[in-house]
Amino acid sequence: MTPLQTALFVLIAPLGSAAVITLFLGRRPALASAVSVITAALVAAGGFWLALGGARFAESAEWLRFGTFSVELGFKFDDLAALMLCVVGVIGLCVHVFSLGYMHDDSAKSRYFGGLSIFMFSMIGIVLADNLFMMFIFWELVGFSSYFLINHWNARKSAADAAKKAFIVNRVGDFGFLLGIILCYWTNGTVNLSAFGESHAAAHVVYSRLIPLLLFCGAVGKSAQLPLQVWLPDAMEGPTPVSALIHAATMVAAGIYMLCRINVLMVPPAMGVIAWVGTLTALYAALCAVTQRDIKKVLAYSTVSQLGYMVAAFGLGSVGAAMFHLTTHAFFKALLFLGSGSVIVACHHEQDIFRMGGLRGRMPLTFWTFTVAVAAIAGVPFLAGFFSKDAILTLAFENNPAVFAVLALTAILTAFYMLRLWKIVFLGAARSEAAEHAHEGGISLTAPLVLLAALSAIGGYRGLYPRSFDGVLSTVPEASGSTFAVVLATSLVVLLAGAGTALAFYSTDGTDALDQRSPSVFGFLSSLRASFDVAYDYYVAKVQQRVAMVLNFLDIVVLAGAVVRGLAGVAEIAGFGVRSLHTGRLSNYVYWFLGGVVILWAFAAGVL
Amino acid sequence: MEQFAFTTLSVFTLVCALGVVLSKNAVNGAMCLLLCLAGIAGLFVQLHAYLLAFILILVYAGAVVALFLFIVMLLDMQGGQPWRPRGAGIVAGIIAAALLITGLDLLAVRGRLADTAPLGHSVGSSLKLYSYELFTTYLLPVQVMGFLLLIAMLGVIVLSRRMAEPEDPR
Amino acid sequence: MTPHLEAYLMLSAALFAVGFLGVLVRRNTLVIYMCLELMLVAATLALVAFSRFNGTEDGDVFVFFILTVAAAEVAVGLAIIVALFRARQTVQVDQLNSLKH
Repeated sequence: MTPLQTALFVLIAPLGSAAVITLFLGRRPALASAVSVITAALVAAGGFWLALGGARFAESAEWLRFGTFSVELGFKFDDLAALMLCVVGVIGLCVHVFSLGYMHDDSAKSRYFGGLSIFMFSMIGIVLADNLFMMFIFWELVGFSSYFLINHWNARKSAADAAKKAFIVNRVGDFGFLLGIILCYWTNGTVNLSAFGESHAAAHVVYSRLIPLLLFCGAVGKSAQLPLQVWLPDAMEGPTPVSALIHAATMVAAGIYMLCRINVLMVPPAMGVIAWVGTLTALYAALCAVTQRDIKKVLAYSTVSQLGYMVAAFGLGSVGAAMFHLTTHAFFKALLFLGSGSVIVACHHEQDIFRMGGLRGRMPLTFWTFTVAVAAIAGVPFLAGFFSKDAILTLAFENNPAVFAVLALTAILTAFYMLRLWKIVFLGAARSEAAEHAHEGGISLTAPLVLLAALSAIGGYRGLYPRSFDGVLSTVPEASGSTFAVVLATSLVVLLAGAGTALAFYSTDGTDALDQRSPSVFGFLSSLRASFDVAYDYYVAKVQQRVAMVLNFLDIVVLAGAVVRGLAGVAEIAGFGVRSLHTGRLSNYVYWFLGGVVILWAFAAGVL
Repeated sequence: MEQFAFTTLSVFTLVCALGVVLSKNAVNGAMCLLLCLAGIAGLFVQLHAYLLAFILILVYAGAVVALFLFIVMLLDMQGGQPWRPRGAGIVAGIIAAALLITGLDLLAVRGRLADTAPLGHSVGSSLKLYSYELFTTYLLPVQVMGFLLLIAMLGVIVLSRRMAEPEDPR
Repeated sequence: MTPHLEAYLMLSAALFAVGFLGVLVRRNTLVIYMCLELMLVAATLALVAFSRFNGTEDGDVFVFFILTVAAAEVAVGLAIIVALFRARQTVQVDQLNSLKH
């Protein structure tokens, strides 16, 4: 098979799987799950074959044409796409396998696996897209898949609300994205990613800054940056494998990926804005994570924070650093989520960390893999997170010391809340009945954990990556000399400070130490977390609702009342008028006849 | 002489026509119609259409009005109701009259008929001439009339059959 | 002095108007019918006058047709009136209004 055919297969196979599951396998969950997992395996294999085989191509076909405007569908497979496709393939496969065990007793397994397949199709579409219109189409499809999967347990109102919130908030970001695409087409005449390099001649100063910022809006929505980060913690209502796949490793990373794709359009002022948005998001989310009780919510805020790191890295000018952190983050965050899934299932779907504990002895494999992941995200040397985070800190140190300071502070907080989580969940004594009887899951739950732990451990060594990804990974900043020393020292200090404080501060007796010791700080952090939701609620309830009511009034009175019923009334009156001519009396008819004669005479005499 | 005859005949005809319209009794009205037709026949004679005058009397006065009288007497109405002029009727009448007068006035003023002098010879009333026209130029209408009469006959037969049982009309 | 054509036409128009007036104001169906015949006769008068003053016989021939039609029409119309009388026991037009909406 030619590379193009392989790429086409990799894209269409999940769609085919979803179609087969939806149409035929609705009542056969076991077969549906098998189809989906096998498709995921084939996609991963295909992706690796394409990436490592060194095939790089860009093909497109025209799809729609309106006069001079045409929408094309095509693939652009360069190193960046290859790296992303491998990440998506690996994480996708791990999550599919994990889902076999996690969703084993679920009542709507077929629907779930159909949703996973649709998601894979949409995500691969984003990865392979060669123009912004096509990317937008799959962008929306990914949003739909996310909505579908968050809402999997749709009997729960909280799940339905969370799915709606995710979709609507994404829509807000997508509005900016679409405006950016249109503006880009209008100024550049094309939205083809390869064509930008040649025709990036947006002479207009305002447009050259506006286009990247508008396109960044899409990333703000999809990658949950400030101020649109409110949907991601709520999206934890979905099953844990979904959170691992979509809301940790792949979909939310699509925003970063898109930014890297449109790198040629960036101008320094826009990038400054992007860098600060990312930095502030990272700090804000880290602060929010400190007070969470739900294991998945901690990880969700952690994801937002790390995405902020990636956006900041991109804003500081390095596609390589952003993608490198994206890759390592995908590994350890997926591992964290899957590990938490293992813990949740073992504790009978308990998600409050203060009701866990003592799982170190009872679930050793989960414990050790989770530890690897926590160490990676905290920045323990020699693991994946250390290298990628250091690359970002190096970049910040060289370009923007203020950003460096904030990112370093965020790193302290990252280590702090991750170690807090680790200690409370795994160490100490079991704090509930369920935790007492926890035991390790089956092979489908543990095999992905092991694989991801291995990747988290070795994923930092860029030398180990195949040559194929050099186009991206060679641009990762390497520190040298004094910068190297400063950054290394900073990261070690950060790690020790954060981790040490957390381990010392928090106890395993089932209460939140921060809440106990300084309720004011705890209260402040909680209200900080809730502030965005409160603000949006206010806006929706007071502003938007009122506008909606005005429009409703207009609809009822003007459109339905005056226009529709008015027209009907006019017809009715006309009918009534005509009907009243039928008196049944001959003389009346003859009078009308006379009237007709008068008119005819008037015509004939030239009067009329 | 001719003018005198014309005036007399026309006045007579008009008075009888008014009699048809205004008489309370339907039989009186039929009688007035008869006289009116006689007047018209006289006018036809004055227009040198002797055959037509005769046919008019024969067909119209002899058959049609007789039929009218038959039916009036068959239906045996107990006198007519007095005719009360009603508002709409008066208005309609005035309108009709006004139309008529203005129409004719326009005709007289703007039409070319004022210049038409009566022709010297008259076509005459030979049956031969009429039948020649009927069977050459006007053959199609003659055939159509044949059909019309056939249909009328059939229609009358159908209509005059007594229905199975006259149900209550209300 | 022979009367001019307009005289005949005015007479014909007057007869027609009288007939039309009768149709409008009378309530007895039979009298309405008679006035209808009056209108037809007025038309025949106009036709004959025209044919005389134009020197052709077309108008006269047309009168034949009018007479035929009038005869057929009277036959059928009176049959209808009789049938109506049998059904409704009245021939007053203002009582024959069951086609009222």
